[in-house]
Amino acid sequence: MTFRQARWDEPNLWDLAPERSREAPPTIPGVPESMRRKEALRWPELSELEVVRHYTRLSQMNFGIDTSAYPLGSCTMKYNPKVSELLARRKGAAEMHPDQPEATAQGALEIVWRLERILQKVTGLPEVSLQAAAGAHGEYAALLMVRAYFRDRGELAQRTEVLLPDTAHGTNPASAAMAGFTTREIASKEGCVDLAALRAAVSDRTACFMLTNPNTAGLFESDILEIAETVHAAGGTLYYDGANLNAILGITHPGRMGFDVAHLNLHKTFATPHGGGGPGAGVLAAGEKLAPYLPVPRVVKVGRKFRLDYDRPKSIGKIKSAYGNFGLDLRAYAFALSHGEEGLKHVARRAVLNSNYLAQKLGAYLPRPFRPLVKHEFLLSGAPLKERGVRTLDLAKRLLDEGVHAPTVYFPSLVEESLMIELPETESKRELDAFVAAFDRAVHDTPEHLRDAPRNLAVRRIDEVRAAREPLLSWKDLRARTAKVEAPTPVAPPP
Amino acid sequence: MPRWIPDEPGEEAALLDALGIRSTDELFADVPKKARIGRLGVGAGREEPQVVAEIDKLLDRNKPLSKFANFLGGRIAARYAPAAVDAIVARGEFYTAYTPYQPEASQGMLRTLFEFQSLWVELSGMDLANASLYDGATASGEALLLCRRVHEGRRFLIPASLPWEEKSVLANYASGPGLEIGEIPYDERTGRLDLGFVRAEVGKGDVFGVLADVPNGFGHLDEGVPELKSILGEVPLVVVADPLALTVLEPPGNYGADVVVGEGQGFGIAPSFGGPLLGLFGCRKEHARSAPGRIVGASVDVDGSPAFALTLQTREQHIRRSRATSNICTNQSLMALAFVVYASVVGPRGLAALQTSLAEKARTLASALGSIDGLAAPRFEAPYLGDFTIELQRGDAAAFLDRLRRRKILGGHPLRDPRPGAVPSPERLLVSATEAVGEREILKYAKAARAAVDARGGAP
Repeated sequence: MTFRQARWDEPNLWDLAPERSREAPPTIPGVPESMRRKEALRWPELSELEVVRHYTRLSQMNFGIDTSAYPLGSCTMKYNPKVSELLARRKGAAEMHPDQPEATAQGALEIVWRLERILQKVTGLPEVSLQAAAGAHGEYAALLMVRAYFRDRGELAQRTEVLLPDTAHGTNPASAAMAGFTTREIASKEGCVDLAALRAAVSDRTACFMLTNPNTAGLFESDILEIAETVHAAGGTLYYDGANLNAILGITHPGRMGFDVAHLNLHKTFATPHGGGGPGAGVLAAGEKLAPYLPVPRVVKVGRKFRLDYDRPKSIGKIKSAYGNFGLDLRAYAFALSHGEEGLKHVARRAVLNSNYLAQKLGAYLPRPFRPLVKHEFLLSGAPLKERGVRTLDLAKRLLDEGVHAPTVYFPSLVEESLMIELPETESKRELDAFVAAFDRAVHDTPEHLRDAPRNLAVRRIDEVRAAREPLLSWKDLRARTAKVEAPTPVAPPP
Repeated sequence: MPRWIPDEPGEEAALLDALGIRSTDELFADVPKKARIGRLGVGAGREEPQVVAEIDKLLDRNKPLSKFANFLGGRIAARYAPAAVDAIVARGEFYTAYTPYQPEASQGMLRTLFEFQSLWVELSGMDLANASLYDGATASGEALLLCRRVHEGRRFLIPASLPWEEKSVLANYASGPGLEIGEIPYDERTGRLDLGFVRAEVGKGDVFGVLADVPNGFGHLDEGVPELKSILGEVPLVVVADPLALTVLEPPGNYGADVVVGEGQGFGIAPSFGGPLLGLFGCRKEHARSAPGRIVGASVDVDGSPAFALTLQTREQHIRRSRATSNICTNQSLMALAFVVYASVVGPRGLAALQTSLAEKARTLASALGSIDGLAAPRFEAPYLGDFTIELQRGDAAAFLDRLRRRKILGGHPLRDPRPGAVPSPERLLVSATEAVGEREILKYAKAARAAVDARGGAP
C-alpha cells in the first residue's frame, strides 16, 4: 500500500478574500493623533467556516505523532495522552490568571507543588522550579545560577569557561554563551567523554561541564562518577541536560550521578505535546549548592496552604513572566500520576528495549558506530550510501514517502552522514517492525527514486537554499515581490 | 501500568528474544552499580478514571475567573476565544508534531507560522517577524541582545514603570554579557517617560538600545513614545506592544521602532495560570540575520509549487552553536497557531471593535471609581485603552483586594515588586476592563471599592 499525504491547493489565508479598502478603525476618545492607527489592520475578513476549512486543510498536510511514527532522535516523540488534553481544558485549569490571589489558586499551586516533589525524586536533586518555558530556557537559567554562585564565591572573574562534549546539543553552547561564558568542546572517544581529555581540560577556569547522559550517540556515559569527581575536584559544577532522561527513569538519576543542576524537558520524558515546535516546559532541579539561586517565586507549603515564596535573597529573579507553563505542568502531572513508581521504571525499560531492538534490525542495513548496547536512541552512518550516489538526506526524504517521519539527520556531527533514531516506549513491536520494513524499502530503492523523494507528500523536495538566499518571510514580502514582477520594465530612452 | 505502553501477550518476550537476552536488566549493564538507585518513592500508578478524579479534585480547589467579576488583566488577558480556535489547536496533526525539521512533511505548520509571522508584521509595522518566542518578557530579553549585536554600548534603557517581572527578566538577559540596565524616570502626574533623561543618556554615547511599552506598565499611553526615535538616531528602539491595542494604534514601525515585541496570549490562548504564553518578535530587515529564533520562509519545491521551510538557519544554535543569535530551539508554534486563528476568526473589524468596547468599559469604570475619596482612579492623567492604574491614598493594596474578593470581585493586581528588600512603591493596582464585565459588575466594583477604602485599618 502506498502512502499519500493530502495535497490541497490551498491558497494563503489572505488570498481567500479580495483585499478591501481599509478605512481607519474607530477613534477611541483620548488617544493622541500621533498614536492613532490611520489605516485598519491589513488582514482578510473571512467567515469562521472559511478559516476553519483553511486550517483543517493545512493540518492534513502535517505529520504528527497521532498520524505517524516519529523516530526523531533526541526528541522522544512518545504518545501524548488524550486524558491530559481533557484535563488541561477544564475551567479550573485554563481559566486561571497568574495574578489571582493565592487563596483562589490553591489547586493550581498544589499541582505544581506535587509535580515538583515527583521531579525531585526523579532527578534526585532536592529543589525544583517549573518556571522555565523549555529545555534551552532551563539550561540558560541554570547557567545564570552557576554564574551567580561563582560571583558569590568571588570566583566569577576566574571561572569563565564552560566545557562540553562534542556530542552536545547546540543549545548547550548557545545557552552558555548567552550566560556570558566561553565554551570549549571536549573531543569524544568512542562516542563518550574521553576522561583523559576532560582531566586535561578542567582547570580553575572551569565554571561548568554540561553533559547529556545518555548522550546524543545513545550511549550511557559509564564513567559518569569519575567525570563528576574530576569536575568537582577542579571546583567546577556539573550540569545535566535532561533531554535524554527517558532512558534512565528509575534506574539512576542526576543526583546519584553527581550532577549539581539539571534541566528536564516535560515535552519529552513527560509526554506533553510539542505543538509543532512548542510549547515546551522546562524543569530546573538543583542540588544544595545551587538551589538558593533558583528563580523566584518558589511554590511552598505552609501548614495546609500553598503559597508563592519570593523571599529567596540569592535567587537570580525571574526568567519568564508568570510562574511557568502551568498548562503543561498539569499534563505532566497526569502522566506521572498514571505511571507511578512501576510505570515510570517501565517507561525506561521499554524505551531502551525498543531502541536496542530497532538498532539490531537496522544495523543490518547501515553501519552502527561505537559499542552495540544503546539506551533511548542509536546512530547509523549513511556514509556507505554515497557509493550509490545518495546521501542520508535522500534516505530521510524517502522515508517520508512511507508515511513515517524521518530520523534526526546530520547530528551529532562526529558520525559521518549520521541518522539518529529513537522510537520510545509507546510504539508497539508491530510499529517497530513496520518501520524496519519501511526502512528496508527505502534503503533498497533506486538512487533515482531516493534523490527524487519525497513524491507522496503535499510538496516535493524544497529549495531551502533559495529560501535563505532571497528571504520571503511574510505576506508583505510576497506583495513586494509581486509588485516588482508586475511593474513595467523601464524602457531605455533612444540614444 | 498505563495502557499507553503496549503490552500484547508475548510482545516483550519477542523483543527480548530477538536480542538474545532474558531481561531488560541486561540493557542497563552499562550503568555502574554505584550509580544505581532503589525506589523512586513516587507512589503507585493509577487508572485513567482515578487520575481524572484526583486531578479534578485538585482543580476544584481553584476558583476560576468566571466565578468572579473579573478586573484582572495586564499583559496576560482573560479574553474569550471562539470555540473554533481550540477546535483547530486540538487537531493531533498540529499539537502532536515536532519542530518542522522535515519541511515536506510539515507544510501545514510551516504555512501557519508564515501566516502568523505575516500577521505580526502587519500589526507591528516591522519588515519581518520570527515564528514566536516563549513569552513577551523573554521576547524583550532577546530584543535587548539583538540591540547589542547591532549597536555598540554598555547601557540599555527601560521605563521605570515597566512591570517588575519584565525588569527582572531583562536584568537576567543583560547579566550574561555584562550589560547594564538604566531606568528612565517617568512624570508623576502623567506617567510619561522623561525624554530629557533619554536624550542626556543617549548623548553620553554608551546606550545600545532603548525600550518603551505601548500601553505602558501602568496601562496608559505615552505620547512621548512616537518621538523617541528622533532622539535616539542610530540607537535602536524596541517597542513592547499589545497586539489588540495595535488594531487601533499606529504600528510602531511607522514611528521608527527597530524591534517590536509583545505578549500574544490574549489572542486565543487561555491564561492557564500563566502559561503557555506567546512571545511576539519582529524587526527591521537590516537586522534579519541578527534575529533570534525560528523563522519560516517561502520557497518552491522542485516542481515550482509554493512551499515553506525554516530559513536563515545559520543564525541558530544547531548550526552556529556558541555563536548563535540565541539558544532558542523550542518556540511556541501551537500558540502562534491559536493567535492567527483567533485573529482571523474575529477579523480586523472585530478586533478593533473589541478594543473599542473594552476602552469604553474602562472609561465607565474609571469614572465610577474616580469619585471615591481615597482612591486615585485613574492615577495618571494620560490616555488609556482597556487598562489603567489606580492608587490607594490610604491602606494597602493587598487588604483592598482581599475585601473585594470576598464580594466575588477580582479587583486587579498590585504593581509592586513582591520580593522582600524591593524598593517600596505606592499602593497601586492595575485594573482591566475585561470582556466578561458589564455595567452591573462595574457598579458592583465601585460600590465594593468605596466600602473597602472606607474600611481601611480595620481587620479585613
